[in-house]
Amino acid sequence: MSTTSAGLAVKMGYKNIKVMLKGAPGYKKAGNMLVASDEFVKTGNMVLIDLRDRKQVETGHIARAVNIPLAQLAEAEDDFPASKAAPIVLYGSEGEAKKGAKIIAGWGYKGISLVDGGLEGWAKAGHPLVTGKTDDEINWVRILGKNEVGIAEFSKVAAGKDADRVILDVRTNDEAAGGRFKNAIHIPLDELEGRLSELPTNKEILVHCTTGARAEMASQLLQKAKLPAKFLLANVECEDGECEIEE
Amino acid sequence: MGIRHIPLMLALALALGWLAPAAKAEQPAADTKQVTATQQNNEQTVVKGKVLGVSQKAKTITIESKEGLVMIKFNDQTTGMEYAEKDAAAIVKFIQTGKEKMATVIKPKLAELPAGVVEMQPTELAELVAMGPVKANYFLIDSRPAGPYAAAHIPTAVSIPVETLKKEGATALLPADKTDIQLIFYCGGTT
Repeated sequence: MSTTSAGLAVKMGYKNIKVMLKGAPGYKKAGNMLVASDEFVKTGNMVLIDLRDRKQVETGHIARAVNIPLAQLAEAEDDFPASKAAPIVLYGSEGEAKKGAKIIAGWGYKGISLVDGGLEGWAKAGHPLVTGKTDDEINWVRILGKNEVGIAEFSKVAAGKDADRVILDVRTNDEAAGGRFKNAIHIPLDELEGRLSELPTNKEILVHCTTGARAEMASQLLQKAKLPAKFLLANVECEDGECEIEE
Repeated sequence: MGIRHIPLMLALALALGWLAPAAKAEQPAADTKQVTATQQNNEQTVVKGKVLGVSQKAKTITIESKEGLVMIKFNDQTTGMEYAEKDAAAIVKFIQTGKEKMATVIKPKLAELPAGVVEMQPTELAELVAMGPVKANYFLIDSRPAGPYAAAHIPTAVSIPVETLKKEGATALLPADKTDIQLIFYCGGTT
């Protein structure tokens, strides 16, 4: 994307053009922080954390923030969303924000950014503050991605309550031996391409594996073959013939 | 097909010539009888594109290439697995045996810079960002779609998705000064 844009700029007559090929991930990897846009902080589907002390927070904070003072952050890991892809936006003093980001990144969260310019930048841009207490719990619900099926919808099919859809299990033979969903078709991912003819063409196919990684790959393959497919991004564990789904 | 056959296949492939052009397989064989199954099976083919997924359990890589989606298996002999990272651009050489494609070598697909354009390193950019766009005289452009920009971008960057730049052109979006100011582009990596 960046090289294409740079090429356009060359054609437009710009003389001094550079491209940072390592991109936003490389910038972050080099130890630098990324920021969220103010609009995203106002309306985006994210977790907003105010890392300052309670007293400071009560005099003015950004709407929708949850207050977790930096000193207590290390013990708050369990309060964070199960999905490590959850966007998390932080603010506090510059030092607090950087330290907080480091702790949360250490838990495996990938989408950490800061409020641009901190609370000062927020106020300078003319955005409002709220006084009083913040919510004390993180309430974040993941929005389903493209071609993803929700756990509730999937469970309905697994319970045999949706005749218009079928379940495709792409786990290995060993994994499937531990138990399968009722009525599921089982074809290991690496055999799928050669066994597409075993699948119905008039029903939506919901693909699962143990985490969602293989299921996503399989659903892409099915779509390429013009079969309607969605995948389940959740942990599936089967034991003694029973399967459980967990976010 | 057991794993123990792979070294033999590799050796044959090397003997037949590394990087046999993909078109070779499509040419009608003049003398079909002479083309043995072994030869056909050991053609090395190359696919380039974005890695959509890697499964350690199914030992499979999915690549989105210009020709569409391709699934390729890998094993202990496959080299360069560190480049088969989700969303990275990769070049995968593989051997086709029947319906099965087995990756032999994976290499990163490096981005090509247009003539006259120079690469900038993250640390160099961080120094400019610390000074700010006025003092350091730069204009930083995030070429990704608006969604990823909103969630997390480099401070002081302006969002101009590549599609927007194509449609609306420079006059409305880029600085008037075409000579002195440093234009810096970035996106989500080597895509």
